[in-house]
Amino acid sequence: MKKQDKYLVTYCEILLTSTITTILVVAFLIVEKEMLLGAIIGLGILGFFIAKGRGIPHKIDQVYREHPCVFYLTIVSPVIIAIVFCRHEHFALFMIASVAIYATACLGLTLQLGYTGLTNFAGAAFLGVGGYTVAVLTNQSIPNVLVILLGGLMAAIIGSLLILPVLRTRGHYAALVTIAFALLFKTFLEINDTLGGPQGLKIASFKFFGLDFNEPLLGSSFYLSYVIAALLLMLVVFIITRLIEKSWLGLHLDAVRLDETVASCFGINIAAWKILAFTLGNFFIGLAGGLYAQMLGHIAPTNFTFADSLILISIVILGGIGNPLGVIPASFLIIVLPEKLQFIQEYRFLLFSILVILVLVYRPEGLLKRGLRSFYRTWGRERKLEN
Amino acid sequence: MDFSLLDQHIINGLVLGVIYAMVAVGFTLFFGVLNVIKFSHGDVLMAGSFAALIASLFLSQLGEFPTWLNLCISLLFAISIMATLGTLIAQHLVLPLRGAPPLNTLLITLMLGLAIREAVRLFYPNGSNPKPFPRLLPENSWIIGTMEIRQDTAIIIVGGLLAILILNLAIRKTRLGLSIRAVAQDPETARLMGINFKRIVLGTFALGSGLAALAGVANGLYYHEIIFDRGLFLGVIGFSAAVVGGLGSLLGAIIGGFLFAFLQTIGAIWFSVPAYKDVFAFVVIIMIMAWRPTGLLSEINSDRV
Amino acid sequence: MGALMNRILLIMLSLGVFLFGCSSNETDLVKIAFIGPLTGGVSANGIGGRNSADLAIKLANADTSKKYQYELVVLDDECKPNIGIQVATKAAADSKIFGAVAHYCSAVAVGTVDVFHKFALPMIVWGAVLPEITYGNDYPEIHRVNGTMINQNDVAARFMIDQGYRNWAIIHDTTDYGKGHDKYFTESIEKYGGKVLGRFGVTADQQDFNAELTKIKALKPEVLYFGGITPIGVRVRTQMDRLNIPALFQGTSGIISDAYIEGTGNLSEGTLAFREGDSAERLPGGKMFLTKYKEMEYSSPPEAYGPFAFAAANLIIRAVEAVGPDRKKITKFLNQIKDHNSVIGKISFDDNGQNMVPLITKFVVQDGKWVIWEASDYQSGQRQLSR
Repeated sequence: MKKQDKYLVTYCEILLTSTITTILVVAFLIVEKEMLLGAIIGLGILGFFIAKGRGIPHKIDQVYREHPCVFYLTIVSPVIIAIVFCRHEHFALFMIASVAIYATACLGLTLQLGYTGLTNFAGAAFLGVGGYTVAVLTNQSIPNVLVILLGGLMAAIIGSLLILPVLRTRGHYAALVTIAFALLFKTFLEINDTLGGPQGLKIASFKFFGLDFNEPLLGSSFYLSYVIAALLLMLVVFIITRLIEKSWLGLHLDAVRLDETVASCFGINIAAWKILAFTLGNFFIGLAGGLYAQMLGHIAPTNFTFADSLILISIVILGGIGNPLGVIPASFLIIVLPEKLQFIQEYRFLLFSILVILVLVYRPEGLLKRGLRSFYRTWGRERKLEN
Repeated sequence: MDFSLLDQHIINGLVLGVIYAMVAVGFTLFFGVLNVIKFSHGDVLMAGSFAALIASLFLSQLGEFPTWLNLCISLLFAISIMATLGTLIAQHLVLPLRGAPPLNTLLITLMLGLAIREAVRLFYPNGSNPKPFPRLLPENSWIIGTMEIRQDTAIIIVGGLLAILILNLAIRKTRLGLSIRAVAQDPETARLMGINFKRIVLGTFALGSGLAALAGVANGLYYHEIIFDRGLFLGVIGFSAAVVGGLGSLLGAIIGGFLFAFLQTIGAIWFSVPAYKDVFAFVVIIMIMAWRPTGLLSEINSDRV
Repeated sequence: MGALMNRILLIMLSLGVFLFGCSSNETDLVKIAFIGPLTGGVSANGIGGRNSADLAIKLANADTSKKYQYELVVLDDECKPNIGIQVATKAAADSKIFGAVAHYCSAVAVGTVDVFHKFALPMIVWGAVLPEITYGNDYPEIHRVNGTMINQNDVAARFMIDQGYRNWAIIHDTTDYGKGHDKYFTESIEKYGGKVLGRFGVTADQQDFNAELTKIKALKPEVLYFGGITPIGVRVRTQMDRLNIPALFQGTSGIISDAYIEGTGNLSEGTLAFREGDSAERLPGGKMFLTKYKEMEYSSPPEAYGPFAFAAANLIIRAVEAVGPDRKKITKFLNQIKDHNSVIGKISFDDNGQNMVPLITKFVVQDGKWVIWEASDYQSGQRQLSR
């Protein structure tokens, strides 16, 4: 086969895979009957094995590493079609937006935990900082896009209060610092009435150049605009995260995580890199929180408990620590699965926890493991370096 | 502040401190041998108190037992069941994950905690509501000067401290304790010295979980009621206490437990809205961590280069 | 490649058949959503409400004179606003759902009213007591069968003053429920000439109240007012005993449950509490409800708000029977409800959709049972409340 043809076949395969995946995901979101859900899950598993048999994950990984533009195009186009297709499905859109928002927040965590090795158990708290900033400012007639950015900025600023203990501590000790912050953040919001107290705050609808996000967009669902905004935000954050990973920045962060002593011997300023990763990560989480608050239209302290921070951490671990791509299927799983388990009512958390335990026991490295950094292209050649 | 109440506040704080310390000691033990955090610890504690409750109710169904006998049997039952559970957790969930990042162990035990919690809620009859715990301790009061202390309170304080003391002695003086310390210090070398690594780990988990059961029973005896979601917060506090004290150090865990109880009590007295006491306690904890990044009694901290 | 394409085509085709073949059209089936907390700390109430709503549906389906078949869609809101908004969206987006019996937690209800309004889905609150849910908006879709905490506390304050009590200490949790009760009870009690000696806000997951109670002991109040729900109520009452506080224990609707009596044992004797609506035992319909509930052998009791969920579900069924499955018409029908007989007494909605409960029932624990004050030994003078 000619080299050109080989490229083409691979692109087609990837496009087909992403199309089928999108169809299955959308069907999974829309369908309610348990039997059908089972059938879709079965099809998904079947499809996964067929794809694996043909070595598609490996090809995707290659394209993802070496031709990011092509990769984004092949992934994004079916998603756009899917959104257009289910523009009237309010609930499916709502869930897609939620997944995208959680994935964005988890990309922030990936930056902290996955690259730099900073444990952050206060993800939901920073999500809350972003949300509350937006809640307070939206009601003040400031341009809305700016407000979300300010939400991210505020999260970064509040996060810098923790910089000193986070820099000085490591591992479980750092975990404690952030756990303590997560707990006190929620309790403080609840007791203190200045920010709405336990009842929370209502948020006026999001406006973008005169376009009211809560009005149906072009005769479709209320949530369509939010889905587009959330997916765009996710894409931008994803690309930034990926660029950081690939560049010398990511190399420094990796060095800090892998061995601080060696890194500092090579002249890497550990504190500076940690501060950068922590602050930028919180900024992303804050952005996600801001948009989430906008979409919900109402936020309260109980949205941002320690348990919610754990959900974020679970997503990062399930996705495969440090792999930004893994975050997306993992947040789909963690956010949509409990929702799909609604039919077993009060038993759903029991089943959910058991499922997560099983995944962790049988796939301790997460769904998509982060590959080793490859310093030269392997595309179109025999792979010389095993990942 | 009214100083006539000081003695009462001190007693309250002491009981809290003993219970927290018992939980924290478990965290520190597990961390010592395996460098892992077992977050289901609080829920094991809760399950222990439910096991004791079941045993005690079963006994009172059988006939009239003296209360001390009832207490002893329930306690033994709870400790043995939880020790078994702890071993099972270690064998099937914690040890297989040794190669994975430490966060995985944390997540898996968190999920296990959720599973235990939900299972008790769903399968214990009407389990989402608080359950009365039998009053198995004498409730008369001793009056020492102006101070009044109830016998059950005193027994719980003394009993808890005794349990920690015995554990401490066991770790310092017995062969098992020696092995545990050896594994904690260096698993590789310990293995080379002929120590059965797996057995020691399982034994430590049994020990820690048994202590959790004891703490659970003490908790039930003190508050006279137990509920399925008690473990979550106790687990977090136990973890905090263990970390603040310095992971791996028994004395550190005890100090951490009492420190936390002290902060909460002070907070409750100080603030007009007592709910701020947790905010206060956690702010102080963060400040302590900034000051002493590896806990009050720090581990020996040297990087191998 | 060809074989693969064939296989994939086959899969997609069968999926399509699944999707469109299975969506059978049952025209007479009307779905009603139930939303409440089925997992977590307050799940006892949620499950009780779910069972009661389920009972209403089962009874309606067994009744041959009914024109439609009913199905209950049960959704768990976890008592968290973001999940509440998520499931409310799910219910509202389902075009087969024509009414919702929703929310035990006030913070959730405050957040979801916008969703119900946006989708024009008629909804009846069955347990949340915050006044703002009905009075904070003028949405025609929102109704509530239970009373607000304003009425409850006004009657409670008046009654306690009449009994000769003057000094209170208040313990309330810092959720919207506890804070609201604290606010409205204080207002009423000060209006009638009582005095609040001290007020203690505690977090909802707090276990140890000895420090707060030690302070209260020094204040020597006649009554300890507790604003919160059963689990903490049990804790506070049992720990009062440890410290030998002689004050009378007065609770709110949140502790009227069998679990309170089971949890506190003998200590529950003489506890006072107040709830909106008539007592189920006293009404003919209520007796029927309790017997039917027993016959169904649900694994847990209906709890304090079960009858309200039952009444709310019945109201929606009645509306569907009267005007047919049409959300707008049902909303209109519900807005005109006046003097409707139900298991909780007469229901009349005011302009905000709030049931104008004429009656607050006073309860006292006597020999391990919640007894209506008027029928108790305490009223007749055979027993004395502690002073």
